[in-house]
Amino acid sequence: MGMDPTIAVSASGLRAQSLRMKVIAENLANADSVATTAGGDPYRRKIATFRTIMDGKSGGGGVSVSGITGDRTEFPRVYQPGNPAADAAGYVRTPNVNMLLEAADMKAAQRSYEANLNAIESARNLTMRTLDLLK
Amino acid sequence: MSIGSLDALSAYGRSIGLPAAKTGGIGSAAPAGGAAEGSFGAVIGNMVTETAQSLRAAEHASAQQVAGKGNLIDVVTAIGAAETALDTMVAVRDRVVSAYGEIMRMQI
Repeated sequence: MGMDPTIAVSASGLRAQSLRMKVIAENLANADSVATTAGGDPYRRKIATFRTIMDGKSGGGGVSVSGITGDRTEFPRVYQPGNPAADAAGYVRTPNVNMLLEAADMKAAQRSYEANLNAIESARNLTMRTLDLLK
Repeated sequence: MSIGSLDALSAYGRSIGLPAAKTGGIGSAAPAGGAAEGSFGAVIGNMVTETAQSLRAAEHASAQQVAGKGNLIDVVTAIGAAETALDTMVAVRDRVVSAYGEIMRMQI
């Protein structure tokens, strides 16, 4: 007896969203990670990109994280001549992590995760209620 | 929704339909002891095997999770699938057994 394809698809959504959540946590944790050498690159914000995966057996299209890429936004420059990461002009390049953006992204990931949980619950309820016809 | 319980329902339907068509009566197919295809024993046997498989998968996922190698989502979905399989099996068994009980109580 195969697993309900609806649940399999929603479970792939849960997996993808939790990976996205991990990437967001990484961005937040590294919001102040600058280079260790003078003039070096600081932490670059990461973005998880999703893609559809087709499961031929169940015919369901789940989701998976196709890759984690770096954000191409410019690094903000802050004047900190005393910082070991400062370049010759005294500027430190800081990570291109925007806290507000991360907070909004986190909220979106959380809502998406909850939506997938609700879909699983609904699918399970339908199965159980169908089964109740026998009782 | 192409769920397993619907497969079970159709299997149940077949188990009632097949012996009657082939041998001319439920009573003649039932005492085969699970050997005959489509008999009550075979249907329940298949369902028990499938349920045991999903329960084993759920247990494997739980063990992996405890060992720190698993994924919580896999554990939850595996246990959910096992639970559904078990519920389906029990519901179909109860239904078929009650049908047999009904026949046993029939006035001759």
